[in-house]
Amino acid sequence: MLALRGVGKRFGAFAALTDVDLEIRGGEVHCLLGENGAGKSTLCNLLFGIHVPDAGEIRLDGAAYVPRGPRDALAAGVAMVHQHFSLIDDMSVVDNLLLGQARGMVNRKAYAARLGELADRYGLALAPFARVGDISIGERQRVEIVKCLMREPRVLILDEPTAVLLPDEIRSLLAVVRRVAAQGCAVILVTHKLAEIRTVADRVSVLRQGRIAATSDAPADDIGALVRAMIQRPMEGLDPAMMVTLGMAQDAAPRAPAPHRRATLPPRDMLQLDGITVRDADGAIRLDTLTVTVRPGEIVGIAGVEGNGQSELGAVLAGLAVPDEGRVVVDGADLTGRRPQAFTAAGVGIVPEDRHLVGAIVDMSLTENLFLDRARVPTRFGLLRRGEMRKTALAMMAQFDVRAAGPDVAFGSLSGGNQQKAVLGRELTTPGLKVLLAAQPTRGLDVGAVEAVYGLIRDACARGVAVLLISSELDEIIAVADRVLVLYRGRIVGERPADPAERERIGALMAGQST
Amino acid sequence: MTTEMLAVFLGSSIRLAMPLLLAAIGELVSERAGVLNMSLEGMMLTGAFAGAVAAWATGSPVLGLVAAVAAVVPVALLQAFLTNTLRANQIVSGLGLNILILGATTLGYREIFGARSREAIPGFDKWSPPGLGDIPVFGEAVFTQVWLVYAAPLIVIAVAMMLRTTALGIALRAAGESPRVLDRAGLSAVRLRYGVVIFTGIMAALGGAFLAIGDIHTFTEGMTNGAGYLAIAAVIFGKWDIVRTAIACLLFGAATALQFQLPAMGIEVPSALLIMSPYLLAFLSVAGLVGRQTAPRALAVPYWR
Repeated sequence: MLALRGVGKRFGAFAALTDVDLEIRGGEVHCLLGENGAGKSTLCNLLFGIHVPDAGEIRLDGAAYVPRGPRDALAAGVAMVHQHFSLIDDMSVVDNLLLGQARGMVNRKAYAARLGELADRYGLALAPFARVGDISIGERQRVEIVKCLMREPRVLILDEPTAVLLPDEIRSLLAVVRRVAAQGCAVILVTHKLAEIRTVADRVSVLRQGRIAATSDAPADDIGALVRAMIQRPMEGLDPAMMVTLGMAQDAAPRAPAPHRRATLPPRDMLQLDGITVRDADGAIRLDTLTVTVRPGEIVGIAGVEGNGQSELGAVLAGLAVPDEGRVVVDGADLTGRRPQAFTAAGVGIVPEDRHLVGAIVDMSLTENLFLDRARVPTRFGLLRRGEMRKTALAMMAQFDVRAAGPDVAFGSLSGGNQQKAVLGRELTTPGLKVLLAAQPTRGLDVGAVEAVYGLIRDACARGVAVLLISSELDEIIAVADRVLVLYRGRIVGERPADPAERERIGALMAGQST
Repeated sequence: MTTEMLAVFLGSSIRLAMPLLLAAIGELVSERAGVLNMSLEGMMLTGAFAGAVAAWATGSPVLGLVAAVAAVVPVALLQAFLTNTLRANQIVSGLGLNILILGATTLGYREIFGARSREAIPGFDKWSPPGLGDIPVFGEAVFTQVWLVYAAPLIVIAVAMMLRTTALGIALRAAGESPRVLDRAGLSAVRLRYGVVIFTGIMAALGGAFLAIGDIHTFTEGMTNGAGYLAIAAVIFGKWDIVRTAIACLLFGAATALQFQLPAMGIEVPSALLIMSPYLLAFLSVAGLVGRQTAPRALAVPYWR
């Protein structure tokens, strides 16, 4: 149905896609597999008209297909669920669905009825008049899918639709995907989770560095070959934590059960969050009497769907938000209400969830970024000693495997993985580091960088640092943490051991079901 | 306060609020779609000037009104081009336009009117709806107004309906919250934002022309005197809701009317303080909203695909 021949796309000097040949058939679920930065999203955006290819041609049903924008794509019957939600939070579900589909006066009631029919056909129940900002992440993803299905597309593109979903929600989403394909629609599903490929894929194409590295007609049998094509390494010998985050939990080697490890740790609390309550500007409770203790050398994972208080927790630990109630104690010292400098001085390192917004200044050099939070930057008569700074920066680059053209390049020119290693390196070298908060530390990184980040976190932990790992990737938390606390609507709703067998239970807790 | 005084106060409040209200309706629609027109002040001044010149030259206030709109639309197009195509900073480009227009209208005024500076300009006649005009005291002071005054509430209702019940209204709100979502739904954020800026221009032209040919029947240099900024403040005060914005305009109008009313009632207040009062009110209302997330999320943010 959809055929790409020699398609290429460059962004400046960076070749995002090179010479891509791909064929998508009607009625099939075609998975695109690849690491972050391999070109999956770029390919989807080309098909949806957001980017225009520089080379090659795309044919849809035999005719040349050259979309100049989403409008052309939609007119040709190509619909897309984007990697990030494309919804207006402040409008109702119906209004979001009507956007771009209706003309003149709108009849919301009639449209809601049509919505009901579609919901029955695909099992996608929605409350039509709820405000999108008030419904759950899973429901929002349903709105996205319904938005596409309302247009009765011939080609449906889904760019990592399961990344934000809980295990239960992923299952029902994949079921819908199958049903859509069964009606003759060509479905392109982007993912980096091998477990999903087992469940739903008819065929798989692997992208690596913008090229098609492999295609399989029987993906379930070819998992090993697909992994090799994706990361250029055999599956055997991969860090078990990596196997889990790749969605191969059942293939991972068993680990020593975590409770035993805790018993070997020094029986004192390095980090103590005691009844922390935080309210936002409108007075709504964001964190509700949150109590967490972390021992030296322990990794405690905070699981939860995003927006359940993770950002606020990060802000409290960085000293950026003062809790309305409760205490923050680091190694016996009460830091409640102190300034961010006091937190750094007490040995609290923060890897923020948004490294561009708070973790680094992209327009400053790598060296300058490595010294951003330093109280003691080398100076002479009040002037920076650039030479000293470069020397230290070079040493840190070597220690943390930060690959860049040099210490003076702009931070923004580094790849995501190297940026994250630099931020992590800076925090890990905080003098007297006692507590490390890592929020979504591997988001958007490739496999090599993810492995490096896990390695650095484990090293810190071996040095006796108490680590709090905040992640919305359930598999990551299970793989890396010693125990898992589930954050739901600002409250800790449960504690489970970090064991792949607990995956379903933790998923249910994340969804707010108390079991 | 006597009944007559109250009636006069109400009437002049409505009359003084009218230029603000007309411009604020346009600005509200524009801001809901994500464009902040700082040049509202300049657009009103252009409307006042063009309206005055055309009404004076032709002797017809209706032609004055048409000329006001015709003169402001190119200004609005320029503002739309700067903000949507060149993606210039909306506040800086708007202020630049205001300064340019203040200079241009002052020059034009001196060239055209010169010595005849006190000449009266033909304006709209006052009119009252049958029945209402016969009410004792209030009929004359409150309900006898230029027809534009009666058009304003109708426009408010029409815009409120448009925002609530049409596909255009949904698209417009989406453009103000996230133009990216709009783009992905197959609509053009840029085209829509051009449209709202031109609509703002038309409404600002009506507001400006009302000043020159509806209310005062003369043009003076810089006669809008901050009305455009007050209209923007009214939108913020009204939390981007059209009914609340209209009420804010009436409030500002009443504050202005007090300037004339208090001395007439024999209350001694320094006149500078009274002249300040609407601006002070606007300032307090805007300051009181700091930190509250009620503004459209993509307000004044240009869109890049």
